[in-house]
Amino acid sequence: MSTETGSDGVKRRDFLKVLGVTGAAGAMVGCSSERVEKLIPYLVNPDHTVAGVSNYYATTCRECAAACGVIAEVRDGRAIKLEGNPEHPLSRGALCAKGQSALQGLYNPDRYRGPMVRENGVLVATTWDKALELLGQKLGEVRSAGTAGRAAFVNQAESGSFPALLDQWLAAHGMPQHVAYDADANLGTLEANRQAYGTPWPALDFGAARLIVSIGADFLDDWGAVVPNQLAWAEARGKLEDAPRFVYIGARRSLTGLNADEWIAARPGSELAIARALQGAGVTIAEAAEAAGVPAAQLQALATELNATRPSLVVAGTRGPDATDVALAAAAINQAAGNVGVTVKPAEAVASYDRVASYSDIRALSTRMAAGEVPIVFVRGANPVFTTPPALGFAAAMEKVPFKVSFSSFPDETAELCDLILPDSHALESWGDAQPLRGTLALQQPSMEPVFNTRPTADVLFSVARANQATAGGFPQPSYRDWLIARNGGPRAFAELLASGVASGTVLEGTAPARAAAVESPAAAQQGDGDFHLFVYPSPLLGTGAGGNKPWLQELADPVTKISWQSWVEIHPNAATRLGIRNGDHLTVTTPAGRITAPAFVYLGIQPDTVAVALGRGHTAYGRYAKGIGVNPLSLLGSVEDARSGALALSGSRASVTRTGDHSQVVTTEGSARQHGRGIAQAITASELRTIPVPVQRVTSADATPAEGVLPPGEGDGHDIPGMPNTAFLPGLRSPVAADAQGEYAYPNSAATGMYDPEHWSGMAKRRWAMTVDLARCTGCSACVVACYAENNIPTVGAPWQGRATSPGVWDETPGANIIKGREMTWLRLERYFEGGEDGSSDFETRFVPMLCQHCGNAPCEPVCPVYATYHSPDGLNVQVYNRCVGTRYCSNNCPYKVRYFNWFGYGEPDRRQYAFPEPLNWQLNPDVTVRGKGVMEKCTFCVQRVREAEHRARAEGRDVRPDEFTTACAQGCPSRAITFGDAADASWSVAQLAVDRRAYHVFEELNTFTAVVYLKKVNHPSPATPAQA
Amino acid sequence: MATIAPPEVRRPNLPSANVPLPALRDYEQVDNEIIATLKPTVPWFGAVLVSVFCMLIGAAAWTYQIYWGLGQAGYAPPVMWGVYIVTFVFWVGIGHAGTLISAILYLFRAGFRTTIYRCAEAMTVFAVMTAGLFPIIHIGRPWKFFWLIPYPNWRLIWPQFKSPLVWDVFAITTYLIVSTTFLYVGLIPDIAVLRDREKNPIRKRIFAVLSLGWRNTEAEWRHFARAYLFLAAFSTPLVLSVHSVVSFDFAVTLVPGWHTTVFPPYFVAGAIFSGIGMVFTIIIPVRKWFNLQHYVTLNHLDAAAKMCLFTSMVVGCAYIMEFWVAWYSGNPYEQNFFWNRVFGQWWWAAWIMLLCNCVLPLSLFWQKLRRNTTWLFILSLFINLGMWYERFVIVIPSLSNEFEPWQWTHYLPSWVDMALLLGSFGWFFMWFLLFVKQLPVIAIAEIKEIVPPKMRVHGGVGHHVAAERSASAQTGGRH
Repeated sequence: MSTETGSDGVKRRDFLKVLGVTGAAGAMVGCSSERVEKLIPYLVNPDHTVAGVSNYYATTCRECAAACGVIAEVRDGRAIKLEGNPEHPLSRGALCAKGQSALQGLYNPDRYRGPMVRENGVLVATTWDKALELLGQKLGEVRSAGTAGRAAFVNQAESGSFPALLDQWLAAHGMPQHVAYDADANLGTLEANRQAYGTPWPALDFGAARLIVSIGADFLDDWGAVVPNQLAWAEARGKLEDAPRFVYIGARRSLTGLNADEWIAARPGSELAIARALQGAGVTIAEAAEAAGVPAAQLQALATELNATRPSLVVAGTRGPDATDVALAAAAINQAAGNVGVTVKPAEAVASYDRVASYSDIRALSTRMAAGEVPIVFVRGANPVFTTPPALGFAAAMEKVPFKVSFSSFPDETAELCDLILPDSHALESWGDAQPLRGTLALQQPSMEPVFNTRPTADVLFSVARANQATAGGFPQPSYRDWLIARNGGPRAFAELLASGVASGTVLEGTAPARAAAVESPAAAQQGDGDFHLFVYPSPLLGTGAGGNKPWLQELADPVTKISWQSWVEIHPNAATRLGIRNGDHLTVTTPAGRITAPAFVYLGIQPDTVAVALGRGHTAYGRYAKGIGVNPLSLLGSVEDARSGALALSGSRASVTRTGDHSQVVTTEGSARQHGRGIAQAITASELRTIPVPVQRVTSADATPAEGVLPPGEGDGHDIPGMPNTAFLPGLRSPVAADAQGEYAYPNSAATGMYDPEHWSGMAKRRWAMTVDLARCTGCSACVVACYAENNIPTVGAPWQGRATSPGVWDETPGANIIKGREMTWLRLERYFEGGEDGSSDFETRFVPMLCQHCGNAPCEPVCPVYATYHSPDGLNVQVYNRCVGTRYCSNNCPYKVRYFNWFGYGEPDRRQYAFPEPLNWQLNPDVTVRGKGVMEKCTFCVQRVREAEHRARAEGRDVRPDEFTTACAQGCPSRAITFGDAADASWSVAQLAVDRRAYHVFEELNTFTAVVYLKKVNHPSPATPAQA
Repeated sequence: MATIAPPEVRRPNLPSANVPLPALRDYEQVDNEIIATLKPTVPWFGAVLVSVFCMLIGAAAWTYQIYWGLGQAGYAPPVMWGVYIVTFVFWVGIGHAGTLISAILYLFRAGFRTTIYRCAEAMTVFAVMTAGLFPIIHIGRPWKFFWLIPYPNWRLIWPQFKSPLVWDVFAITTYLIVSTTFLYVGLIPDIAVLRDREKNPIRKRIFAVLSLGWRNTEAEWRHFARAYLFLAAFSTPLVLSVHSVVSFDFAVTLVPGWHTTVFPPYFVAGAIFSGIGMVFTIIIPVRKWFNLQHYVTLNHLDAAAKMCLFTSMVVGCAYIMEFWVAWYSGNPYEQNFFWNRVFGQWWWAAWIMLLCNCVLPLSLFWQKLRRNTTWLFILSLFINLGMWYERFVIVIPSLSNEFEPWQWTHYLPSWVDMALLLGSFGWFFMWFLLFVKQLPVIAIAEIKEIVPPKMRVHGGVGHHVAAERSASAQTGGRH
């Protein structure tokens, strides 16, 4: 075909194909399923823009301090999907849920449209010229008043050149260095690392360890850079029977804790005693066990194991008032055990946290502001009003500042108090750089024109500085981009750098400000005397609140509790029974600092004397998706600090819990947390696994003779069932539909088998798209779910205005009302099953199962659809035709996996209150995927748009699809590399080899559905002292 | 012209009555009394208004639901079928008793059917009309419902003939057509009577057309009887097949609690049981308010009540069989489901069902209660309730506790569901009430078969001739 033209560019056929797809998609996007709209092509294409063909830009994710590399897929000038950058040394192609959601920050409908200024107490829109003039004028006033030295700039903690540039700008205006605030940072660990290892964050090698002990370090939730942690962790666990055992010590089983093989349910505040007991430094095991409320034998067993196992890895990340001491004790254990340089590698340090300020810096600022000492304050990328306890009084202190400037792009609680809003462009709209690892430079480039009338703060700094004769000298370049180009070897070198996004190199290094002197935290007497320990923790999805305005993150069920769109109070089942509390009973948690009321969630993974509340919700501003959802437990906390690191102590106080008498249904996606012996999530112990020989396999090509140990295709189930397929597909991946057309029951006239004939020119029937999910690697982090939302235009349904009418015209405005009804649209959902612990003991196991359409070879949904809206494609996909669907929902009834989802409302119709993509969120919609109309079924398609795109590309290039050439959105994003997708009928694909792994099983195999999703059993590592439990 | 022949020859070949109606003296009395029921009354107008109002509530709710989407109903996935399917099966089931009474009992020459069959048959037609709406109400895009019908189209797309929902389309349409035809054919001689009695020229014209020019000739009676017999035979298998097909909607799936071979006979028995319940609900007020106690006598009700008792026990047997099979199968999913059915979150629904369908009907073992119209009426309401709950118990708990524990859920109908349930009753009774004032609710011609000719009572040829003449005049004979 087009190879003969000799052109490398887009072929005419591709262009037409793409045009057709875009046209169809264009007709769907943002309108009802029935309306046809006009598609007007470009008369003259902008450079590098071909309608319907994506461009990809390597850039850097700024959703947290880690600075992972991302590749932004841009279609027709709009970023539509973020993927990890495989060349990035930190994230290696993976991307977490927060990173995936950056797009919803970019397209957030509540962003500031442009600069705003406060006039008569109200923020009104203004122009950039006027806004910058006002800023220049205020800077001049401050300077002439001689108070510039008392100004303050609170910036988000970030690596890269910007902080140094900012300090340079501040210095040019006579102002002190900025405060790099990161409410999520684990300051205690950072301080201890500085002291023990000489670097804030050494690289951790989980895979090198034989035993991992975490003392409250939630490295899969929010402790450090989560994506690299998770990659390393999954690699370690991917060693299966040789993987490290993992023991978690803490008051609450976080996502990290749930991934542990053993949990020591220590009371909050007892971690230091345990760490010192394990260290053998002045505390005996018995004393520590007494303080922690755990059996001394369990702790003794761990101490023995820890002494006997080399190498090990001990990490600590508690958030109490003694966090630094705990982390120091952990570091001491590592040092004593010789782990430094083996599992803890200070030489390969993560550079993202080098100059994070502490909470005490913010407190000091707050004190200064309250005293009226601060003439002008700037805030960028941080929300201190929301992320500090109300007891600190930051908001009231800010009121005392004469002029407050916010660079926030969102109307958050801090910005709402400011006098001048200079909205920063989103990271996907602006230039920048970052330093994820020391010696590595990661570039950040705009993937598209700004959505709104925003400007990158760096450019604003340049404009302001250059507008003034006095400061212009330090800023010779007209913009930050030019400055970056100049710094990185000129335009040519810079262009090369941009192509990969990362290079070895450095950024402009600023000098870290002197740490504020540790201040003794205000009296511990404020800790209260309630019956329960209070345990406040940052949400793994929403952090301390930054994620709250992104509907994907609000909608995504918390990986641990599976609750979305609300706050909850976790309480242990035994305590709940004692107090007569059921799930959903409203509880009031009271401390001397304040009180909150939220529904109870009875959670097995919490220490029985403890109640836990997650941060991240309870916004009073920050846009429609955040405001009024849940409560902020910071109001329970006094402004108590860990004196050594200056961190806010999140745990350590006591609370009393009372029932209000109200009850509401918990917004959860969880049905039953128990498998009832149904074998959905299966596990095997390491010792059992050792007894199963690794099959000799790795068939290199489809027609090679299978090596010994590999079952010939179609054999091995021990019995021949007439009519069962016996050709062409791997055992367990058979497709009776295709086999019917191919095999003995085929219509004698072979022409009638059509595309199901393997000899058909399309070659479709030769393939069997399949997926394996390795439960030994899966951590349950749910990044795949958000990747699926982004790729497949899945609507979020939990916003308060998306519910149904409880009577004519009266709408149910409960957040998550649809989710209470089970109407979430997660094509891919993460099930979390508990094993054991029915008596409330801490000895229970958790199994996470990503559950998606299994693309059954013998699909129960297919024959029951009266209109053929679902059918079997020759390459093994279970296909759903939205346009043909009339919505009988019969297919869903007959689906044993319950992975079909129905459009109960017009989520894709802009004129409906349930519309899920208010402008400009709809800019993110993937044009390759239909936005489904109301009244139709939908489900996982195995990213059929990617399958077809790859096939078309291969055909255009005159070749076959290469093994592992492409993958689905969930597999691509997965930071655990647990998901593998491909053609199971071709042994050269990875998935074909994984599908015959010794741990492979199908869910509900007894139903003869012949699923195309193969799960690989989780591998458990029980304590050497306890009997094996699978 | 009128030749007088022995009654054995002239009388149509209809089954002779074996449940006597001693209170009926002669044909004229029959004509007069039954036609008198057609006079509209104020309470009737009131009842029609109430029905229409309920129907409009349902229509408004449906409109609301179509505009906003099915989310307005109470569906809680994976409970993807809810009140609408429950109500659909309920109304299809109601229809079955009518056909059973009018067709099967006709073939079996069960005399007690004579006085109640018209009512039951009209009930069938209107129940099927009601039921037929619900699959359309239930689907996500009701404006596309015709895609379930195999019609020629340029895309050459046919329905999926493997799908029981397509079978449903055929079953329900066939049933509606056949039962409507059957009702109409049986009405022809009676419409002729109305035509002859009608004063209003327009109505008279309509009746004339509808009666197909019935003249009460021997040939007409012969053809009529043959046609009626044929249609009865034709309808008989439908009684069994239609609800069997409806049961296939459930039985062919994998769903625990649905996937069972006992469903077709179980559904048919349940349908007949529920239909007889509804017949009682309708006929008892009708005989009272229309002063027809001497037509629909306690003997008739007694006989029907025995049938009710019998089908109740068949249904009860099917319930027990389901539990036994669940236990005997060793299938953990089935066992879990059936345990849940009676002790799980829906225990109350299952116990309502068992109480109403299996326990309360046992009272019919006592003849006193079989002949107590108040009790029969109350019991019939319980049966209606119980049979609605039977379908609820089949549809909803099965879906809410399927294979995948993570997706176990709870379901609560919304106001839209309830409005449409109410609307279905409004719609049904609207049609039924309109029917009872337009066409005779008791089959005049068949009643006359039972009324003993005066000749036999009093003796004497003259009497007999006179009676016959008056009768033929009343039945519209034009010799």
